[in-house]
Amino acid sequence: MKYSREFIGITGFLLVLGTLYFGLIQTGPAKYFTAPNAQKLFYLHVPSGLITYLAFLMVVGGSAVYLYNKSDYADRLAKCSTELGIVFGFMSLASGTFWMKAEWGGDIVSRFLTDMRLATTLAMWLLYIGYFVYRNQPETSLVKNNAAILGLSGMLMVPLSYLSSRFLRSHHPVIVGTEDQGSLDPSLRIGLYMGLFGFLLIYIFLFNTRMKIEKLERDMLKLKMENG
Amino acid sequence: MRFFSLFLVILLLSSNATAECREKECMLKEYKYQQDGGMQHTFYYNNIFNIGTNWYIIFDYPSGKSDDTISFEFSTGLSKVHTYDPDKETDSISFSGSSFTEEIFNLELYVNITGPEGPEGAFVLEIHVNKPSAEDMMYLWGGMTVFWIAIGAYTLFLSNKFRELSNKSGLEDGNREKN
Repeated sequence: MKYSREFIGITGFLLVLGTLYFGLIQTGPAKYFTAPNAQKLFYLHVPSGLITYLAFLMVVGGSAVYLYNKSDYADRLAKCSTELGIVFGFMSLASGTFWMKAEWGGDIVSRFLTDMRLATTLAMWLLYIGYFVYRNQPETSLVKNNAAILGLSGMLMVPLSYLSSRFLRSHHPVIVGTEDQGSLDPSLRIGLYMGLFGFLLIYIFLFNTRMKIEKLERDMLKLKMENG
Repeated sequence: MRFFSLFLVILLLSSNATAECREKECMLKEYKYQQDGGMQHTFYYNNIFNIGTNWYIIFDYPSGKSDDTISFEFSTGLSKVHTYDPDKETDSISFSGSSFTEEIFNLELYVNITGPEGPEGAFVLEIHVNKPSAEDMMYLWGGMTVFWIAIGAYTLFLSNKFRELSNKSGLEDGNREKN
């Protein structure tokens, strides 16, 4: 389909708008929260966090395949997914910080240093910032190789960040895979799934576009080198 | 952009704790009531009742009285009665911040002083009930802005890259799809 990419992007955008309507207008201030209005960040904070994990896992996959067979596609995939992981990671971290400040209060810096979920997520994000900066230089095979090794470290960082709130010292709530998952109010579930699906489609749209640009750039560079 | 970053930092680092003041000096209004016998009462209060924050009225009264009571009743029906303490000359009562849920202007507070032999004095004070905007709304909008800024900035980044490529290759818009 000629416009399938655009269709995906627009559908994702509309779903996120639907989530906002649902979270901000349809449902009132949340009960049992110190900051009942800031709780509305939940509908986009959680999806952006999950998409960040997805993006960084794709970097891990792409890096592993590149190290295995030097596939140009895998390298592009890892590079493009890193950028999106950074973007969605920023959304998750920043929105989480606002929510945390409203709900828990206290000093943000000390929370980031003492809460293992926050600390490991920030560390993971900074790691991929490092990857992004490193990739921002002429792309020799050595750069690609080193970047792929760096990208592979997500194999450790992603599960560490995701599981830290379960096994390490953390105030961060855990819902998925716990008893609380079943007790989620239906209104929360609808908003959450809509936001998650919306962000997933936006991710696919942006990723697809970025991959296309990267391919064009590489093709042009190749052509330039061939023509001397 | 710098201003926005500065705003974000100030917003995040600012403390959201507010202390309630129960001192006479913090009260914006003062009302003196002279009884027939020359005895004087002075009432200190804030004429704005902020929903969510306890509201206090402090009063000075003649010492040595033990059987007298003073009652405070809002026109909405909410009331409290205080019995004089002979050992004190100043006392206070409070109404919970959750006593009201909506804004009310010119709300009347009936104050009645009653002695052992019946009513000794009555007067009316007027206050306004204010509904302050929720403190966490700022954080909600701050957090929501983050999503749109991030997606918008990345879309702009992609758009610039496309334009750059287009300029380099001299491709027309229609030819892009062929690649």
